[in-house]
Amino acid sequence: MSSLDDFPADDGAAVGGVHIKYFVHCPRQLWLYARGYRPEHRSDRVAFGQVVADTTFTRRRDIDLGEAKIDWVTTGAVVHETKSSRAPSPAHAAQVRHYCLLLERRGISVRGGTVHYPLIRRTTDVPWDDDARMAAEDAETQARNVIAATEPPARLARTGCRGCSYLDYCWGD
Amino acid sequence: MPAAGRTYWLTEPCRIRREDNSIRVERPDGSPVRIPITDIRDLIAFDHVDVNTSAMSMLSRNGVTLHILDHYGNHAGHFSPAESVASAAVIRRQVEITADPDRRTAIGRALVLAAAENLRWALDTDLLDPALQSLRTDLPDCKDDDAIMGQEGNFRRTAWAVLDTQLPPWLRLNGRTRRPPTNAGNAFISYLNALVYARVLTALRSTPLHPAIGFLHSDTDRRRNTLALDLAEPFKPLFAERLLKRTAHQRALKPTDFETDVGRASLSTNGRKKIAALVREELSTTVHHRTLKRKVSYEELIHLEALKLVRLCLEDTPYKPFHPWW
Ligand code: SF4
Repeated sequence: MSSLDDFPADDGAAVGGVHIKYFVHCPRQLWLYARGYRPEHRSDRVAFGQVVADTTFTRRRDIDLGEAKIDWVTTGAVVHETKSSRAPSPAHAAQVRHYCLLLERRGISVRGGTVHYPLIRRTTDVPWDDDARMAAEDAETQARNVIAATEPPARLARTGCRGCSYLDYCWGD
Repeated sequence: MPAAGRTYWLTEPCRIRREDNSIRVERPDGSPVRIPITDIRDLIAFDHVDVNTSAMSMLSRNGVTLHILDHYGNHAGHFSPAESVASAAVIRRQVEITADPDRRTAIGRALVLAAAENLRWALDTDLLDPALQSLRTDLPDCKDDDAIMGQEGNFRRTAWAVLDTQLPPWLRLNGRTRRPPTNAGNAFISYLNALVYARVLTALRSTPLHPAIGFLHSDTDRRRNTLALDLAEPFKPLFAERLLKRTAHQRALKPTDFETDVGRASLSTNGRKKIAALVREELSTTVHHRTLKRKVSYEELIHLEALKLVRLCLEDTPYKPFHPWW
C-alpha cells in the first residue's frame, strides 16, 4: 500500500501500479483517480494500510520507478507487494504484473512476483511469463484508454463497491 | 468518512503545544490534555488560543485546520495545512462552470431556494408559504448574484420575523444584525452560522475543489472562501434557526449565557460551552441515507454535499442542493 504515494501527479503518460489495480477493480475508479480526485488520502483504511506496510517489512527499501513505487524487490528480481487487505484479489496480481513489466522495460530480467497479505499470513505468487507479459501490456493499453475517455465509466453493481474509497462520491446522492 | 479524527472545540482560553506526536492543550486550570495528532480532524477556537510554530507545523503536516472565531462568533480566520488534495482537472472545471453566467446563476438560484425551503422546514410553519411562493416566482427572473441575494434577503427577513413569534422576548432577533450582533438571538445565529461555515470549509478541504471559487456569493465578498459561503446556505437553517428554536423551547439557554451590552451581545464562556456541546451533538445526529444504505451524521451530510459539487465538476452531474428528507 505504500505505493499509493509518490506519483507524478496527473502525468498522462505514466501508468503506475495503482492505476492498474484500480482499472482491474473498477474502470470508473481509475478514471476518477487519474483526474486527481483521491479520497483515499483522507480515509482511515489507507492510513491503516500505511501502518501495515510500515511495520511489516521494515528492513527492505522501497523501489521508486517514477511512475510506481514498488514495496520491495529481492535478489533474483522477485517483486513483492504488501497488502493490508484480507482477501487476495485479481487487481493485486495485475498490479504486481505491471511492476514486472516496468522493471523489464528497464532492462531487469524479472522472475516473478509475490503479493503478501500479512494480516492473513498468506502470500500469492504471480508468475511472469509470455502470457503474463501480454496480460500486463493489454491492461496498460486499456487503462490508458479509460483515462483518456471524456465520459466517466459507469458505476459497478453496488456490491462491487464495498470498501471502495469512492463510495461516498459515487453513491452519495 | 471525510477523514480520520474528530473536531475539537476549544471553548476556553488555552495554550497549544506539540509533544511528540500529540497536541498538548493546556488550560489555565486543570492538567494538560494530550490528543494524538491522528485523532484530530480540526480545531475550533472560541476563545484566546496561544499556539506556537512547532504545534502549527504538526497540525499542517497532518492536515488539521484550526478555525478561529472572534468574540462575537464571527469566523475570524483559519490556519490551514500547506498541502491540499486539490486537483487541477477539478479546479479547471470549477472555474469554467462558475465563469458561465447562466450556469453560475442557475446554481445560485438553486442554493437560495434550497436554503429558503430548508428554513421553512426548520421553522415548521405554513406562515412562510406565501413568502416561499413569491420567492419561487421571482427567482427565475434574477439574472445576477445581486438580484438573487436580494430575493434571499427578502425571504430571510420574513422568516426571521416568523421565527421571532416562536421565541421568548429576550431571544428574539428583532431584525438580523451582525458585527456586532445587537442581542442574544443575533449572537446565537452568528455563532451557529460561523460554525456551519467552518464545518463546510473543513469538508471542502477534503475534496479537490477550491474553496474560493463559488457560485452565489460574489468574489468581492469580505470572506474569500465563497464556495464555503455558498455551500453553508442550505445547512444554516438545519443548525442555526432550528437550534435557536429548540433551545428556546427547551429553555436550554439563559440570559446569563450571554454578555449583553447596549447594542452588542456575545456568548459568555458558559454559553459558548453550551453551544459547543449542542452543536457537537447535532453534528453527530444520524439519519438513514437511501443510496448509501447506511446511517450518516449531519456532519457527513456536509461532506456529501461537497462531493456533489465534485461530481458536478468532474462529470457534469446536475447539482441538487441539500434538502432534509426526514
Ligand atoms: S464506488 Fe463503486 S463505482 Fe465508484 S469507483 Fe468505487 S467501485 Fe467504482
